[in-house]
Amino acid sequence: MELTRRQFGRLTGAFLGTSALPLGMASMAHAQEAATLVVAVPSNPVGLEPANNKAEPVGSEIILNVFDTLVEWVPPTFDKVEGRVAESWTISDDGKTFAFKLRDGITFTDGTTLDAAAVKFSVERTIKLNPYVEASLGLIETIETPAPNEVVFTLKSAYPAFLAILAQPQSGIVSPTAVEQLGEGFADAPVGSGPFVIRNYTADTRVVLDANPDYFRGAPKLSRIMYRIIPEASTRRLELENGGIDMIQQASQLSAPATEEIAAFSQNPDIQILESASQIIRQLEFNNAATEGPYADPRVRLAIAHAIDYDGLLSGIFGGTAERVYGPLTSNSWAYNPKVEELAPTYDPEKAKTLLAEAGVSPEALNTTLYSFGGALWGAVATFVQANLADIGVKVTIEQPEFPAYRALQTAGQFNLALDGRQPWYNDPDAHITIGYLSSLADTAMTFRMPKDDALDALILAAQAEVDEAKRKALYFELQEKIVTRTPGAYLFSPKLIIFARANVKGLVVNSAPPLNEYWGVHKD
Amino acid sequence: MHVFLIRRLLTLVPVLVIVLVIVFSLVRLIPGDPAVTLLGPGATNAQIAALRAQLNLDEPVLLQFWHYIAGLTQGDMGVSLKTGRPVLQEILSRLPATLEIAFGAVIVAIVVGTPIGVYSAIRVNRLPDHVLRVLSLTGVSMPAFLLALLLQLVLGTWLGWLPVSGRISSYYFFDEITGFMLVDAWLSGEPGAVLSALSHLVLPVIVLSSFLAATLARFIRASMLETLGEDFVRTAKAKGLSRRQVIVGHALRNSLLPAITVVGLKFAEMLGGAILTETVFSWPGLGRFMFDAIQSRDYPVIQGATLIFALLFILTSLCVDLLYAALDPRMRRKMT
Amino acid sequence: MSELKLFLRHNHLALAGVIILGIMLLAVLVGPLLLKSPIQIDMAEKLMPPSATHPLGTDSFGRDMLARVLSGGRYTLSIGIVIVAIAFAIGVFFGILAGFCGGWIDTIIMRVVDAILSFPALVLAIALSAAIGPSLQNAMIAVAITMAPQFARVARSQALAVSTRLYVEAATALGLSRRRILLRYVLINSIGPLLVQASLNVGSAILQTSALGFLGLGAQPPMPEWGADVSANLAYARSSPWTALGPGVAILLTVLAFNLLGDALADWFNPRRRSQIQ
Repeated sequence: MELTRRQFGRLTGAFLGTSALPLGMASMAHAQEAATLVVAVPSNPVGLEPANNKAEPVGSEIILNVFDTLVEWVPPTFDKVEGRVAESWTISDDGKTFAFKLRDGITFTDGTTLDAAAVKFSVERTIKLNPYVEASLGLIETIETPAPNEVVFTLKSAYPAFLAILAQPQSGIVSPTAVEQLGEGFADAPVGSGPFVIRNYTADTRVVLDANPDYFRGAPKLSRIMYRIIPEASTRRLELENGGIDMIQQASQLSAPATEEIAAFSQNPDIQILESASQIIRQLEFNNAATEGPYADPRVRLAIAHAIDYDGLLSGIFGGTAERVYGPLTSNSWAYNPKVEELAPTYDPEKAKTLLAEAGVSPEALNTTLYSFGGALWGAVATFVQANLADIGVKVTIEQPEFPAYRALQTAGQFNLALDGRQPWYNDPDAHITIGYLSSLADTAMTFRMPKDDALDALILAAQAEVDEAKRKALYFELQEKIVTRTPGAYLFSPKLIIFARANVKGLVVNSAPPLNEYWGVHKD
Repeated sequence: MHVFLIRRLLTLVPVLVIVLVIVFSLVRLIPGDPAVTLLGPGATNAQIAALRAQLNLDEPVLLQFWHYIAGLTQGDMGVSLKTGRPVLQEILSRLPATLEIAFGAVIVAIVVGTPIGVYSAIRVNRLPDHVLRVLSLTGVSMPAFLLALLLQLVLGTWLGWLPVSGRISSYYFFDEITGFMLVDAWLSGEPGAVLSALSHLVLPVIVLSSFLAATLARFIRASMLETLGEDFVRTAKAKGLSRRQVIVGHALRNSLLPAITVVGLKFAEMLGGAILTETVFSWPGLGRFMFDAIQSRDYPVIQGATLIFALLFILTSLCVDLLYAALDPRMRRKMT
Repeated sequence: MSELKLFLRHNHLALAGVIILGIMLLAVLVGPLLLKSPIQIDMAEKLMPPSATHPLGTDSFGRDMLARVLSGGRYTLSIGIVIVAIAFAIGVFFGILAGFCGGWIDTIIMRVVDAILSFPALVLAIALSAAIGPSLQNAMIAVAITMAPQFARVARSQALAVSTRLYVEAATALGLSRRRILLRYVLINSIGPLLVQASLNVGSAILQTSALGFLGLGAQPPMPEWGADVSANLAYARSSPWTALGPGVAILLTVLAFNLLGDALADWFNPRRRSQIQ
């Protein structure tokens, strides 16, 4: 006979009850439990307000729930934008001017009104203080406020993805009054207009958010969110099973395969598994800018791409927690071209060997180092790829350098094979395609290092600036086909966003890019 | 006595200087740009350069060292590259958590290790001795992370007796005045808080104390065996003193002094071992903080934390030496 | 030799230690030759519990755990011994020098030793590993550097004690060269406690290297180092505990064996204890 944890807890409780514990404690804990959501995250938030936000999951999610942005993506498909603080907007024909009309009656939690001046103040402040937004918000030429409820952004050039940028946490709107009053202290106790307020932040321990009852969309059903910072995955799991936490935020599951958790939790009636597609792409990359050596031959690259057992990788290592990727965009992007599924190389080791023979390259000549990010997940993928390549006679040694060293060698092109990936931080095909494939960016960021190709570059820039939605989609369709046929890499997988939560947690909204949660509608049954 | 103290303190100065130089150069040796780590894989070179400028990372090394020393004399350890907050403040806010389990571990180690060592020595070469020796041997041979894992699994999940992470149950939220969770829980007056804090302390303290308790048990056993064979013990027995008086009053007392040294030395080692314990139990202490800082190349924090660890050790050995000198008349005479 | 046998016969724990170590040595030297490859992936067999074909089960890649533990054992044993050898060489050299020469040489060496000892060993090892790069060799160097001061201290106190002995005074009076005195008199007579320390430190070296491996700063995949394996398999600890327990318990047994050996050596070199046992 097995004692359930409940029974044992009761026995222990009875035993301890003799030491004069107030009877009220049990009921108080219960009431608190129902209205508090405890979320486990793997690391500290780096910044709690838009001006010091970097693209990290914890701080960004907090900002998303504490501040409002002008617009937000509509669940569950996230292919349309709706107004949040903005009621409506118009975009000029040349794509450079965005004019927003704001809703009335939105207030910050310090009581002041959210008007056009506040929007202007926030965006200008973030541009000034945050070096990370140079490439995105830095495109703004001027911000005008013709009326207290109208804001007009004029960009330096046409950029349709600007709406996606405005939905990012960095575009959150802060209270100018609070900034002036608190000065430096604003970073620790920021004031926004969102459904939650930051009550307390204890580093390495927790972040406490209290509900904002005056939120303009209606008060949240929760009264408190407590983020618990738990760096160890096994500890997070144990806590979820014991009921010490309500939810494991998805960021943790992106750094280690969650197959074991899924196996354990799917049997557990107290725990639910929420899955949604992400826009993250991970690939085996070639140094496409290289002109010499056996890897410069497109047939060799195609051969390597044919040598990878894509489905084996997904089932063996990920056990269903990742999806197949065929090209530069994931299937949940509005610009996804289904044709890439036919164009992408299949798992065919015989064809790989034939191609190598055609190219006159012996497998031994391809022996090289496979570089990868550090960590268990990447190590597992690298090991799998290593085995696949060994099957066609290519021996690779795995190296997982520290991230700064890895970035340095990747951007300098000192590799033949590298495992790389991109997690887009705004919801637009531009996030994957421009940064990944524009040849001029090759040495300045981690990209596919595409060689200089004026036609391709022009197409990328045209798609970035095209105002007409249908035309833009067609351009991206063309881009995907062109890129896939060049085999810049073997597209391996896109990890799903997986959230483990107690079964009584309902109403969660999980954004896809950036992959953060909104807790406004959450409640516990 | 004062002369001894002053002399001891003087020998500390060159040690401190060497420590500072080691800390500074070690940290500077760590490859990898903090700005790169902070911004992650999606960043462009331009963004990285902007952050470097913001963080003053481009000054020449000697100048940085000079700034650092100058700051130290004013109690300024610089500012964390990651969070922007003063390093000293960040370290001091996490130190109580580490001290809490460290002190707990020392107490448990002494309370558990001493009787085991004594009993083992009394019943030397018989069954209880063998059993206890194997037990203490296991204690010094067990990797901390294995013990932590086993305890978490058995006592945490399968039996559900004890919590496996954090310092207190999630649903308690009160102001932390001292930083020591037990004290703050008691001060807050919230019902059940002290119990919750205590229950969270149990597993980390057990893991952290195991090595020290086992070492102490082994040491006291060996020391007692030496002492029990000495002449003065024979004299005491011949004088007709009770067994207990002989063992505790004479043998144990003489074994205590070197035992203090052992505890003192191992305390510092244990602080280092706290890193592992803090990681597995998600205990928000200085060890884990320092490990995170190393991962993210947060130079000022690494320097500051290493320095604090070194200072704690120097302080502990100074206290041990003083205690030793105060208790042992022979040493006192030798040292003055 | 017969003295040794007598000693072992009466000192059960020492005997146990020697036996365990012997078995282990045999297993890691011979075992990998007979077993399957520790890096051969077989996804169909992943995470199988212990069975006839896989006595310790398989890990998340379907690799045989027994093979991994035994070939990991080769690494671990050599790691422990190499680290101690390096630390021994450096530490004893400086320690004996300091103890024998005294004066300002002694002061300088001891201040540096104190400074290094001021850092908790793991902290220094982590910082060093990060500074010179995460790899097994570098982790070994880091641990050796943090361990050398211990040998230096013991060697110094031994040298100090021996230097005042009459036979050293006699040797000096006879006009023997300093070098000769150091080697043939001081070192040889100090060797006892140093060997004990060395043997106990092998266990410590293994624990620290596996701790570094656990933290991701030691061996890199697919090397079957025990600490790294425990860390990599921690995620499966709930459903397939043998993957983490196998290498973990292996560490425990190995360190235990070396500690038993160290204890036996301590008893052997301590004439009073030796006679007590016999």
